[in-house]
Amino acid sequence: MKSFFDAIGNLFKKPVTTEFPVQQTYIPDDYRGLIVFEESLCIWCRKCEMACPPGAIVFSQDIETGKQEYHYSPYVCIYCKECVRACPAPGALLQSSEPGHPGLKEENLNNGWNKLFDESLESRAAYAAEKKRKQAEQKAATDKAKAEAAAEAAKQNPEQPIE
Amino acid sequence: MATQYNIPVGAQHIALLEPLHFKFTTENEKIMKAEANVGYVHRGIEQACCSKFKFRQVSFVVGRVCGLCSISHTTCYSQVAEKLMQLDISKKAKYLRMLVIELDRIHSHLLCLSHVAENSGFEALFMKTMAYREFSMELLEAVCGNRIQYDFSIVGGVTRDLRPDVAKMVLEKLKIFKPQLDELVDIYSNNYTLGLKNKGVGVIAKDDVYRLSAVGPFARAAGIPIDVRNETEDTLPWKEAGFEVVTETTGDVYARNLVRLKELYVSMRIIENVINGLPEGDLAVDFKGFPSGEAINRLEAPRGELFYYAKGNKTQILERLKIKAPTFSNVAAMVHGFHDNEYASAPAIIGSYDPCLSCTSR
Repeated sequence: MKSFFDAIGNLFKKPVTTEFPVQQTYIPDDYRGLIVFEESLCIWCRKCEMACPPGAIVFSQDIETGKQEYHYSPYVCIYCKECVRACPAPGALLQSSEPGHPGLKEENLNNGWNKLFDESLESRAAYAAEKKRKQAEQKAATDKAKAEAAAEAAKQNPEQPIE
Repeated sequence: MATQYNIPVGAQHIALLEPLHFKFTTENEKIMKAEANVGYVHRGIEQACCSKFKFRQVSFVVGRVCGLCSISHTTCYSQVAEKLMQLDISKKAKYLRMLVIELDRIHSHLLCLSHVAENSGFEALFMKTMAYREFSMELLEAVCGNRIQYDFSIVGGVTRDLRPDVAKMVLEKLKIFKPQLDELVDIYSNNYTLGLKNKGVGVIAKDDVYRLSAVGPFARAAGIPIDVRNETEDTLPWKEAGFEVVTETTGDVYARNLVRLKELYVSMRIIENVINGLPEGDLAVDFKGFPSGEAINRLEAPRGELFYYAKGNKTQILERLKIKAPTFSNVAAMVHGFHDNEYASAPAIIGSYDPCLSCTSR
């Protein structure tokens, strides 16, 4: 009987639902959102890339100049802020309260990001190999120059007294 | 002997939240035998944790094992990794972990209760419970920054501090929730039609629960005071925060509802105590090195005892991680509980078990 009167009474209560587009739902102001990168403050240590659990951050490297470039996929990111905690340069990475956007099919999110990720790793390996090759070349050149200089010196004063 | 019929329920069924397959053998609408298959959501998370992810990243991976008890998995892994690293975390981090675990328990228990009401055919109570549950989701969003995947615990501490305005908001919302919970207790215990569907249904005797080693609210409803929060104090100071074990005696769907409802009062008390007595300290400790040796850890998830085993080999990647979820312990008792019940009450019984298959098959 009590539940019957409760049911009648409920007809005159105001609804528990909110009128969504008119009345906004509750969003906290430190909502976990997208990661923001500040290039001028970055020290290029790649600690964020190593810490990121899903692999949403990757650095590619130019083979000629060695300049690194930051890539971030907001669709792979889980907004865990692990990169921000790992970052030794204050201000280089920050978490905003802007929520992630839904991805579109045309953007080729999964395959595109995987391809970019692999290419970035390859570019770094290529830069490292190139650097090694250049160093070896330089070393060979300096060795050759040294040997030539020694030979020249030996030619100029051929009689070295041997004791 | 009457004709026996085999009735399959699941893997996709209207009464189930997650893929779970039951095969009932019925005789004149009475369930004589039940078989369960729980392995539909296997994702290979344990293998991924031991091959692909570094040990600091694993706490985010195990959070994805289950959406409902995400914080329990994350915290349990963080604690087992801290045991491997021999870290001492600050008291503040422990208190904040307790806060989020209890908030999570409120939302998980209310979800289960609403699900029982729906499966018993009481749609209006389902709506009401879900409407009352919304406050806990908002609080979790305010405390952790996310509604579902909290990512709150990391190895060495927690990720976010509790802001004073959020703490005030938590206390205010709990004050609003208390009369609502009284109302829910009144409906779940005194409503005549719900009582017809719940009282004396799905009974499991105390001896059977003990013999089949069930855990969580399932075992407590039958009168066994088994609760990890009651047993160990080495990882989180539960007793200090005002924990008390809740038990019922009858072991039916009704008793399981009441255990869950009464645990909400305990959870609310713990949250209030944690916020009022939050100590000062660091959020997370910095550490270097890699895990080595073996460790186990237990934690009371909303559904029962969660168990983690980890083995490190002085590298970034763990050698072995074993997760034993509470539902896995309960499967034997779950199957036993259907015996001699009407087939029509099977959905309500399944709801009252609160099975979490994502945890069980990982």
